[in-house]
Parts: sequence; structure tokens; C-alpha cells
Amino acid sequence: MRNPWAQTGNYRTSYVQDTTIFANYREIVSVVLLLLALCILPMLLERSQVLVLNFILIYAIAVLGLNITTGYAGLISVGQAAFMGVGAYTVALSAPNLPFWLTIPLGGITAAIIGFIVGIPSLRVKHLYLALATLAFQEIFVWVVGRSPALAQGAAIPVEMRNFLGLEIGFRNHNYFWYYVILFVLVLMVIAWRNLLRGKYGRALIAVRDNDRAADAMGMDPGRTKLFAFALGAFYGGIAGGLLAYMQRAVVVEEFTLTRSVALLAMAIVGGLGTVVGSLLGPAFIEFLRLYMERLSEWMKANPFVQSITPAGVDVASALLPLSFGLVIVLFLVFEPRGLYNWWRLLRSYFRTWPFKY
Amino acid sequence: MKRAIILGMMAMLGLVMAQGRTVNLLWSGAVTGPTSDVGGPYGAGIEDYCKYANDQKLIPGVTLNCTVRDDQYQNPNTQRIFEEALDRAKPAMYLGYSTGAMLQLKPLINEVKMPTLPASAHIGLIDPPNNQYMFLPVSSYSEQVVALMEYINRTDKNAKIALVVNPSPFGRAVVDHARRAAQRLGQSIVDVREVGGGNLDNTALLRALDAAGAQYIIHQNVAGPVANILKDAKRLGLDKKIKQMGAVYTGGADLIRLAGDAAEGFLWASSYYTLDENAPGINLQKQLAAKYNRSADILNSTNYTAGMLAAAIAVEAMKRAAQRFSGRIDNETVYQALIGMNGPNAFKPGFAVSTKAGIEIDFTRTEQTGAEGLRVLEAKGGKFVPVTDPFTSALFRQVRNP
Repeated sequence: MRNPWAQTGNYRTSYVQDTTIFANYREIVSVVLLLLALCILPMLLERSQVLVLNFILIYAIAVLGLNITTGYAGLISVGQAAFMGVGAYTVALSAPNLPFWLTIPLGGITAAIIGFIVGIPSLRVKHLYLALATLAFQEIFVWVVGRSPALAQGAAIPVEMRNFLGLEIGFRNHNYFWYYVILFVLVLMVIAWRNLLRGKYGRALIAVRDNDRAADAMGMDPGRTKLFAFALGAFYGGIAGGLLAYMQRAVVVEEFTLTRSVALLAMAIVGGLGTVVGSLLGPAFIEFLRLYMERLSEWMKANPFVQSITPAGVDVASALLPLSFGLVIVLFLVFEPRGLYNWWRLLRSYFRTWPFKY
Repeated sequence: MKRAIILGMMAMLGLVMAQGRTVNLLWSGAVTGPTSDVGGPYGAGIEDYCKYANDQKLIPGVTLNCTVRDDQYQNPNTQRIFEEALDRAKPAMYLGYSTGAMLQLKPLINEVKMPTLPASAHIGLIDPPNNQYMFLPVSSYSEQVVALMEYINRTDKNAKIALVVNPSPFGRAVVDHARRAAQRLGQSIVDVREVGGGNLDNTALLRALDAAGAQYIIHQNVAGPVANILKDAKRLGLDKKIKQMGAVYTGGADLIRLAGDAAEGFLWASSYYTLDENAPGINLQKQLAAKYNRSADILNSTNYTAGMLAAAIAVEAMKRAAQRFSGRIDNETVYQALIGMNGPNAFKPGFAVSTKAGIEIDFTRTEQTGAEGLRVLEAKGGKFVPVTDPFTSALFRQVRNP
């Protein structure tokens, strides 16, 4: 028998082996180590740095959902932020009466129902037309919230949770508490995501994306599959929105606008469409890019030499922030359309085959 | 002799400590992104007043470390910047910005007991719950809109009014109060429309409001969308038929720059003095803009004045906190100083007009609006000139809590 710890090639001999979640033991060990590191990480960080991590993990959940709808089923969606909003508002309305471990799944389910409805146009239209249909939903969501007195017309609805099983949650531990909750939810969602894609429903998503007529001929129901993809993608969005509501202590409609949807789409593209690793790397990359560009911008403003060489009356330093965001997306689309995931794949491949090239 | 040496050393130590002491003040707002036309000059006003406070040693023995950060009008950025400051700089006071972000931060601000002056004048910020530490430098959007309705009522009873507001909590905040005020004044609100920044052709909007019989349009928006509506009203010949007016961020030099001669006749409710007036705050504004090489656009912007006023209130509160609490300047003592800023202790920096009682800025634990006086100004010959004396809305407090 080959030593499974020193496995260097693909020795799978059955279909069951080919569909395992982890390819080999090294992968299991590395995932366990990663999770341990993620559990320890907040202890080494400041409270406000944990907040940045929380945003990244929440966006990662939303991007995982987008990767089901867009990455796997090939249905372009520019309404993921609105699905997050559905989850967040469901949480805001139900939080006074239900514990958070019920409100968050409830937010996901509500978003899934809405996602199912929003997906109906996908039965008749594709590509750009479908993108416009989801764009319409995004705008309708903001319009409806902005005009609903029950939703404070888009102003803040407080979502406060001060106590969990006797543990008092306040300023000092709020970010840490929610970090572990979000991490736990993210792990569950990743496992569910990986499991989905090993089964017949996941394969149906890919088949419908590649050629829905061929999928139909093979006995899959493209219509049902598309609706399923929308509902599931929205479910992930709803869960992410619910978590965001608790973490930000209030829900405001400005969080769930088209800008956020575009940002989520950018995270998915930069990370690598249709991949778990990409769903984590994309949000992290965009958020850190924002942070470091902000630092660069502040440094430029404080540096007299830089100020002296930039044209008078033009705030170049401030303009760097939005510029970098657009530039990164364009550069990834042109030079690395498979996203950061491809770099990760190449890195892994290098270590797996070392000292050989192939 | 020994005692004298020890006392001398302690005095020296105290002096060194006092001179080296730094107090932090934080502002985060939209230097870039949506509403940066407001945020840019506002932040510049804060920055310049802080430099002036340090130059003039307005807080004896204390150096003010003023942090001005760009949140790009994104609430997660605002939250991150605020929490980062709580972890690292521990500011004595926070100067905030947008309505949405401030509403979202309200519970946290209350929990950490941070006295906060937002640039947003949304009444919800000083409404319960979690409102204890929020203070508006000038009267709220709602109060200014109600004041404009009272102004209309002086000459025109039973007026028909349309509201055109920004599609956001910032814009919508005034609608309910305006409806209640109209009911009491015998006016009618014939239509409420939401208009954002992309309003390139307002023909349909203006025709519809005209058809509804609107004699007045009251705007609650920023200058850009209002300027487009004014230009279209002039093009359609409706500028003579419908009188237009607006609150806080609708008017000022920005509107005149954007709307040109279409701005003529626009009425603007404002608590601030104009650049043409001889007020101590305005003179200081001109002096600082020259000293720090600010562009003409920034100097002329009323948002530059607004930023300076917010910073001036913060610096004054810190100074009073140091005087009252033996040099201790932190969020607790600054809060006490702020709520004591009333009666004979009211603050008069000369940026905003005074009420009839002669008070410019005052706060108490329950009255969280600073400048309650305002004037109606009219755009005439390319600048805004006052057409009323300073007054305070008589009706607003009744319609706020009916």
C-alpha cells in the first residue's frame, strides 16, 4: 500500500474516491491547521483589526453564494447585495423576538424565497438580459425599503444582542464574539458548498452553465436547476446579510446598494469564479487593497514632496482609492481571468511536484 | 529647602507633562465618493481650525492631534475608522459625517460614551434611543424645512407645496415633519418626489408638479440635483410660476456655481453667516483659507464654514473640560463641558447667526441642537443675501413630538 502521507500523484481508482471532499490527508491536515490559525488569529489582533476580518469573512459567505449563481450556474447576478439586504432586514425585524441562531437562518430562508422569485426570468432570458433582470431586483429592493415605514424608510433599525448564554456582549468583546460566530457559519457554508458540488445537483449546475440544451437532453431540468441556483445563492447572501446586521449593530439600506453588489462581483472575479479558495481570497484582496490604498493616500497627503509634484487643485491622493479598485478589476480580467485562485493552484502544484517541474 | 526643591521639581515635571500632552480629535467623512462636494470642504474646515487652535494654543498646554480621514461615504469604512481610533488614539470627541453611518454608529457611540457632532443634521440622530451623546451643530433638516414653510406662511396662506428630497434617510427625514407642519399651517403638500444625483432632465418632474398645482418646491438635497432642477425650470419657463427653496446643503456658493443664473431667486435656509458679512467666524475663515492656500471653491463653500464651526465647538468643549476638571480632557469631561455650554456659558464663535436671545451655540443634556437660529437667504446677483432676520422655528418643536 502506498503511503498516503507521501502521495505525489493521482491514484484514485474509484468514482467514490474521485468525489471525496479532500483529495488526500495532507489537505485535511492543512485545513485543520488553517482553522486552528484562524481561531488563534484574533487573539493576536486589535479589536478594530478583528472588525476588518469580520467584514472579509461575511463578504466571503456572500461571494460563495454568488459563486453558485454566477460561478457555477453561469447566471449573472448583480443583485447579491439586495439578497444580503433581505437577510439583514429579516434579522432586524425578527431579532427582538428570536435568538440569533434562529434569526440568521430565517434571513437566509427568506432571501432564498426571494431569490427563487427573482430567478424566474432566468427561465426565459440569459446573459445580459438576465443581468438586467437582477439589476432591476436590486433597484426594486432599495426602492421598496426606502418607502416602507416598517423598515424605517431605509434609515437605521437597531439590531442589538447584549447577552449570549450568560456572556455579556459589549464594546470590548463584540467583534471577537461575532468573529467566531461568523467563522463557524463560514465553515458550515463551505462544507455545504463543497458537498453540493460533489452531488448531482452541483453537476447539474455545471451542465446547465456549459450548455443548457445538452443538459436538458441528458435528463436534467434546466429551469429547475436555474431556480435552485438563484435560491441557493440568495440563501448564502441572506446569511451574510444577517451576520452583517448583528455585527454592525444596525441595518441601513445604504449597505445593500448596487455599489455593494458590484463590489461582491469584483471580489468573485478577482478571487476566481466558481472556487472556494477564490471566494475567500477575493474579499480579502479587495479589503486589504482598500486599506493599503487608504494608507498610501494618507501618506501622500502628508508628504510635502509628493504634494509639490502633483498638479495643484487636483486631489491625486484621494483619487487613488476609487482608481485602484477599477484598475484591479480590469487588470485581472485582462491578465488573470481565472483570478487569485489560479496563483494558489500554481503554488500548490509547485510544492506538490517539487523538485520536478511537472 | 528640601521641600522647595521637591516642589520645584514637581512643578517642572507638571509643566513638561502639560506641554507634551496631546489630545485627539477625529473626523471621518466623504472626501471622495458621493457627497464629496460637501465632505471635502467640511474636512478642510476641520483641518484648518485644528491647525489654528494649535498655533494660537487655544487649549493651554495641550496639542491637538486632529485626524481627518476619508471614509468614501461607506458605512463599513466609517465603522472601521471609528473603532480604530477607539483602540489607538482614544479621541476625546468624534466629528462624524453621513446620516446612514451615524445612525448605524449610534448604539456604539452611546455605549462608549463618545460625544459626537455629525455633519448630518438628521433629526433621528438626536431622537431616542441611544441619542445621549449626539449633538447637532446647527438646526436639523426638519427644523429648517418647517422654518421655510413658516416663511411661506408669512405672505401666502393655504400655499400648495411640493417636496423634492434625496432618495436616502438624509432626504426622507423631513417628510413627516413637513406634512404635520402643513396641517397646522393650513398648507397642502401636493406631492413628494425623490431625486438623486443622476437627474439630467427634470422636465417630467416639473410638469407633474406644475400640474399638481405646486406653487412652491422645497428641496432637501445636495446642491447638484437642485441646480439641475433650477436650470430645467428656467428652460421650461416655470421659474416665474413656481418658487423654489431648500435647506442646509442645497444652497450656498456650490448652487450658484452649478446653476448659474438659474439660481436667481432661490431661497435658502441657513444658520451660517455668508462670506460677505463681517462676523468673527467668517473673518477667521477668510484668514485661514489664505494662510493654508485653500482654493476659492473651498473658501466660498458654506461647508468649509460648517467644518470650522464643528471643530470650534469641539475645541471649546475641550478647553472648558480642561478648566473644569483640572486639565482632564477625555470623552467624559468633554461631554460634561458640552452639556454645560448654555445660558451665560453659551458659545459664540461667530460662524452662525444668533437667536433673538443672542445665543449662537448652546447645548443641554436634552436640547442637543447647537445653533437654533436661522435666516432665509435669497440668491440675488450671483450671491445669497439675507431676506429675513434670524429666527427660530416656532412650530418645529410641536411637530417633532406631536
